[in-house]
Amino acid sequence: MKRAEHLRNLAFLGACAVALALLPHGLSLYLRSFVLFTMMYVVLALAWNIISGFTGYTSFGHVAFYGIGAYACAILVTDYGWHWIATLGAGAAVAAVVGVAIGYPVLRLKGPYFAIAMLGAAEGTRVVATVWDSLTHGGLGISMPSAETSMETYYAMLVLMVLTIVVAYWIGHSRFGVRLNAIREDEVAAEALGVNATLYKLVAFVLSAVFPAVAGGIQAYKVLYIDPPSVFFVQITIAMALMSMLGGKGTVIGPIVGAVLLYTTQELTWVNFPTAHLIAYGLFIVLVARFMPRGLMGLAIDQGWVRKGMVH
Amino acid sequence: MGPRPDQNVLEARNLKKAFGGVRAVDGCSFAVPRGKISGLIGPNGSGKTTTFNLLTGLLSPDSGQVIYEGENLAGLRPYQIFRKGITRTFQITRIFREMTVLENMLSVTGLDVPDRVARERAEELIGFVNLTHLRAEYGGRLSYGQQKLLEFARALMTDPALILLDEPAAGVNRTLLQHLLDHIHRLEAEGKTIVIVEHDMNVIMNHCERIFVMDYGVKIAEGPPAEIQRDERVIEAYFGRRR
Repeated sequence: MKRAEHLRNLAFLGACAVALALLPHGLSLYLRSFVLFTMMYVVLALAWNIISGFTGYTSFGHVAFYGIGAYACAILVTDYGWHWIATLGAGAAVAAVVGVAIGYPVLRLKGPYFAIAMLGAAEGTRVVATVWDSLTHGGLGISMPSAETSMETYYAMLVLMVLTIVVAYWIGHSRFGVRLNAIREDEVAAEALGVNATLYKLVAFVLSAVFPAVAGGIQAYKVLYIDPPSVFFVQITIAMALMSMLGGKGTVIGPIVGAVLLYTTQELTWVNFPTAHLIAYGLFIVLVARFMPRGLMGLAIDQGWVRKGMVH
Repeated sequence: MGPRPDQNVLEARNLKKAFGGVRAVDGCSFAVPRGKISGLIGPNGSGKTTTFNLLTGLLSPDSGQVIYEGENLAGLRPYQIFRKGITRTFQITRIFREMTVLENMLSVTGLDVPDRVARERAEELIGFVNLTHLRAEYGGRLSYGQQKLLEFARALMTDPALILLDEPAAGVNRTLLQHLLDHIHRLEAEGKTIVIVEHDMNVIMNHCERIFVMDYGVKIAEGPPAEIQRDERVIEAYFGRRR
């Protein structure tokens, strides 16, 4: 792709960021939260997409990293008196270490075996958070003292989202990303053509772990109370996957579009149909997987609106 | 002047590989002459592809050595062997289906090569196999013959010294095949070493200088085409014992 094209895309992202930065002052508290959580899901879907979309290792356990970030924030703020912003870096670091520890063995598995192992890893993390009383306050959860105006968390999430988009964009348009794609398409061939798949997968996995951890930390400080079931909630993983799939996994725009569309729809429906929205969610997964496996971006590519491939 | 390079670029020494009770390669030895086109033939199931997999690290041998430029490669990972200058294609093409032709090419080069250089090389090779008009098309949408060409071009991205081709002629029409053979001879002229596994005897007999024949996991004969065609053991391996 031409340099001018990258600059144009970057300028567009910058304009969106400025608009989002000016937005919250005119919004009600509810709408401000709504935008914040939409941005959070953009981060989660894009991060999930690094390992599951670009690299083809579908993870059903990414909520583990989100939960780790949330706990890092809550513990360090309440028990150690850290400033909450500083806890975000700590959360990311812990997620990176746990990411290596989980990723190294689990990335040897493929397809459904990897997906299920990740589901197990996330459950394991939740159990640890529940039983390790002395560190996590166990099942009681943690309430945080707050001086929160909801502006700080909003801007933190905005910065995180822009950063995540920039990283995802760079991966998507680099030869590093092309090699992740090669692993997704045919790992044996990729290895035979010089790609150290073990290393690449691990780097992709750790990258995809770090951003949800920071999002989890911001979210924890936003809602001020966390417990294991709420931050290791399997539905968060499902949302990441579904948003990416709906928009088009393996692309940069897809997960963003998917997150905005799905979170908005969800917010509109659950107000009116509190239980039915979960059923609708399940049904939606089936329909997307069956009729639109490559998502909206796949559709756009088939229609000729978007070029094939990421590197041109 | 450094020491004169060995006349053999690669040497397999007593390679063995068994899958369960099946001894796919059972003590196979041969030496690949430098800068020439060699052929590896044998009946179905004689261990040719397994041998290729042993040479390129896709499998590691139960015993034996693969000596490349004086170094034993046995036990190295495929990407390590690739980076030493050995590349290959596959019997059944393994192109990246949901990546464009250009992306297929760019996935190969080392990241230390600048982007611009990698692109120039990729475009040049895509042109070399006449796929320029399809550069932005998904690999999976190419015809089988075009996929073979793409795989061939992709294998050349890093300017390898030794090129192993597993059945390059299978499923490729005559015109395309002639085109491919021209490329192979051009590589030979550049000083590359090429080893071809092939069932098409026209390709083997007309284009290889040296032929290795395998049967039941061992090399049963070796020599120039004219000699191999008359070799009793080879005829027997293919057609059974003469009455």
